[in-house]
Amino acid sequence: MIHAATPGLQAAGPMEQFEILPIVPLTLGNIDVSFTNSALWMTIGVVAIALFFFFATNRRALIPGRMQSVAEILHEFVANLVRDTIGHDGMKFFPYVFTLFIFILTANFFGLIPSIPGSPHNLHTFTTTSHIIVTFALAMLTITIVIIYGFAKNGLKFLKLFAPSGLPIWLMPILVPIEIISFLSRPVSLGVRLFANMLAGHIILKLFAGFVIALLGAGGFASILAIAPFLGSIAIFLLEFLVAALQAYVFAILTCIYLSDAAHAADH
Amino acid sequence: MSDGAKQGPPSLDEFSRRLDAARGDRAPEKNSNRASGAALGRAFRVGSELLAGLIVGSLLGLGLDTFFGTKPFLLLVGIFLGFAAGVLNVSRAFKASASDASDSGNNPSGQG
Repeated sequence: MIHAATPGLQAAGPMEQFEILPIVPLTLGNIDVSFTNSALWMTIGVVAIALFFFFATNRRALIPGRMQSVAEILHEFVANLVRDTIGHDGMKFFPYVFTLFIFILTANFFGLIPSIPGSPHNLHTFTTTSHIIVTFALAMLTITIVIIYGFAKNGLKFLKLFAPSGLPIWLMPILVPIEIISFLSRPVSLGVRLFANMLAGHIILKLFAGFVIALLGAGGFASILAIAPFLGSIAIFLLEFLVAALQAYVFAILTCIYLSDAAHAADH
Repeated sequence: MSDGAKQGPPSLDEFSRRLDAARGDRAPEKNSNRASGAALGRAFRVGSELLAGLIVGSLLGLGLDTFFGTKPFLLLVGIFLGFAAGVLNVSRAFKASASDASDSGNNPSGQG
């Protein structure tokens, strides 16, 4: 990240951390299916989750140890979320919502781990949720489940979501397109929100850190001023912890709200 | 601690009674903490909900324009409908937060 050969200190650009770099180049026909740094950090996240829950539930005790307590708190938190939002029969969606919540939470938090200094660029810490293709794929998965479940549970009455009963007939041509656009905007807002929050947070963090390097490199009185962006980057780093947890929570609760809409579409 | 676990069911019942009693004092504090977290989550929603409605409306209008060959008109309709959909999304997010607040007793005068 810091090129020692150049005079003074230089920081990498704020966008360099989002570059997708191949680790194991692979091609399938004409398609590039390289194992990239993004894939690496997704794998690390999933393996970490699996190991954590394996060891947390390995020695089930009546009086839980530390790891078991954390696992139980996470389980109870998501179970309450699903039960409060969808209702008791919504617990069949608990495995999906829990997986989604834990995966996003882990990906967000792992992105905040500092890179090992001097490690090759393609092994630097990478936030998978700062790429819109990842978040949008998760959002599309949610909406696909909502649509399939909605039609399976309500049949064609699912379409009443777009035309609430008691609506005057002359309002239909205006309100039905608005409701359809509102429904279509759900995956967009789900995907864009998570992506934009992670991207913006990491850029700001990198900019503040870059100021520290630039001011230290300038020498003299400017070096003393470097304390200000340094304190700023600590504050942003702490804020990013809140944002990382909050965005995972928002994604999970909106998934629950949309599933609840699909479950109760016929009652409108 | 391990003695209590070995004694079996009777002491468990007793333990859960004591746990409930101990939790009784702390329950309201825990609830308000959760409510403020949920409110923060909703605040983060509002901006992107409005934007998403506008983006989808505009893109839908543009796509239908290219399909029917009626260049700017459906885009304009799409922008208006998209904005309306965005406002609808935001109003729904706020409606949910208002009903939540009145449920937990924080806001008894809130209009459901």
